[in-house]
Amino acid sequence: MSDEPPVIEVTDLQKTYRTPFRRRKVVALRGINVLVRRGEIFGFLGPNGAGKTTTIRILMGLIAATAGTAKIFGETVPSRAARQRLGFLPEQPYFYDYLTVGELCDLAGRLFGVDAATRKRRADELIARVGLDRARTQNLKKFSKGMMQRAGLAQALMNDPDLVVLDEPMSGLDPIGRKEVRDLILELRERGKTVFFSSHILTDVEAISDRVAIVARGQVRAVGAPHELVGHTQLGVDVSLRLPEADPDAAAKTLAGDLDASAVRRADRQLTLALAGDADVDALLARGRELGARVLAVTPRFETLEDLFLRRIAEVDDPATTTASAPRAEAAS
Amino acid sequence: MTASLGRMWALALNTFREAARIRVLYGILVLVVGANLFAVLLGEMSQHAEARVARDVGLAGISLFGSLTAIFLGVFLLYSEIQRRTIHAIVSKPIERWEFVVGKYLGMALILSVLVALFAVAMLALLAFQGIAISQAVAQAVLLAWMEVLTVAAIAVFFSSFSTPFLSGIFALALFALGRLTPDILAASESSKSTWVRATTRIALEIVPDLHLFGISGRSVDGAPVSVHGDFVSWGYVLTSCGYALAWIGGLLLIASLIFRRRDFV
Repeated sequence: MSDEPPVIEVTDLQKTYRTPFRRRKVVALRGINVLVRRGEIFGFLGPNGAGKTTTIRILMGLIAATAGTAKIFGETVPSRAARQRLGFLPEQPYFYDYLTVGELCDLAGRLFGVDAATRKRRADELIARVGLDRARTQNLKKFSKGMMQRAGLAQALMNDPDLVVLDEPMSGLDPIGRKEVRDLILELRERGKTVFFSSHILTDVEAISDRVAIVARGQVRAVGAPHELVGHTQLGVDVSLRLPEADPDAAAKTLAGDLDASAVRRADRQLTLALAGDADVDALLARGRELGARVLAVTPRFETLEDLFLRRIAEVDDPATTTASAPRAEAAS
Repeated sequence: MTASLGRMWALALNTFREAARIRVLYGILVLVVGANLFAVLLGEMSQHAEARVARDVGLAGISLFGSLTAIFLGVFLLYSEIQRRTIHAIVSKPIERWEFVVGKYLGMALILSVLVALFAVAMLALLAFQGIAISQAVAQAVLLAWMEVLTVAAIAVFFSSFSTPFLSGIFALALFALGRLTPDILAASESSKSTWVRATTRIALEIVPDLHLFGISGRSVDGAPVSVHGDFVSWGYVLTSCGYALAWIGGLLLIASLIFRRRDFV
């Protein structure tokens, strides 16, 4: 076991805001626990208002925690030494719109204390890497949201950081842009970097994260590798059948039985039924054969990250399960 | 230390670029040139007082327009960083909050210095055009006006570190007016019969930067009348006043940095 501290260690982090005039309390974080190891891609998942950005802003030293501790590379935040080793892309990044992307990277490099020659070389490499070569001479004012996101990524990497923190990096990007960001994140991990990113785009998180934390209402509701979190619970079975040429409508009606309409999909003569976990699949298949249908596929349906996510969020809305599903020890994995 | 200076310089240059894009500043420059031209007209109407009017209006223009610009930049530039959230990408870099405040101030000081230099050039050009001799006293007066402008910028930055632009502007303007009128306010309070009023005024004025020190033409310094038109203050006085300005600037930026250190950027 290495003595090296975790890259990020957040323990019982709490944040309460006060509204400006009424001084009403708004609880943003109720005790977040997260531990991120070196070299992993960690997805921080949650709906809007869950506390993702607040946690990240505390880690970046933008706001102070009300209680609890947050450490980066073993240093309690806010720490200048820790910030020297990290790159940060804020949510919906705003930069000085009178700068070009090259000037933005140069400013970032100067603030990191990078020498002029390295600044120039890295800026050229990164601008090309994020696909902004053709927009080099444009002011950021003329950039689209997606281009601004790419510029933000370039400036975040100017110090060749050990840890990259990205707050909603796929937000505002088209499918190609999202894939490029995913590839960039994977490339960073290959180079030994640690990536901590927040998102509410579940497919992106599931596709690239080594581990994820699901956050809701200011607490971590689940932590683990996506396949560990979702791989064991079989929700049901999907059965695909080719209906007989003679009276396919009657066959479909018989096979669907009293299934909910959302569990039945039909395209011409192909019928797909989403059965519950305890459904009698053999009986359905036998009935189908009797009616002259051909079985195309029988596929077990496991819980996806989206299912887990929705289930955990639903639990939060149910006070009876909220207490039980706020395990502080979960994060200590 | 060198790294810290490098970071502050990077921020200062960026602030300078940001400020140089504000079109209002060019409008103010035109206003100052206009004021100087108006001074020429006024001088023509006066009885052999062309030089006096040109110098007085020129110096007043530097002081007034310079200070108003300082207030505008001081309250706008810091606030816009927070409002537009550009600060998020900056203070998440390895810079201290005080470096950010000082860097922003240095950038403002840089643009204000350029403006004061341009105001002064406009004034000196018109003085030369009118064939009016440019004395050392004028240079000293410009130097003092420059110090006043930099002090007012620090006042604006101080208020901007914890307040909205509107309130910061009001507070800074009030302090500018108070600072300019310290001897008059003191004189008025001294005529009061109440010892409480006299004592309170004296204490209150102690915590206001005495900007009156920087606009001394036609004023009384150490009991002697001084003017750019005749006897003027010594270089010793000018240097002491510069030291006074730098002490206030340092103090105000220190407090602003301490306040800024505790701020949440949401």
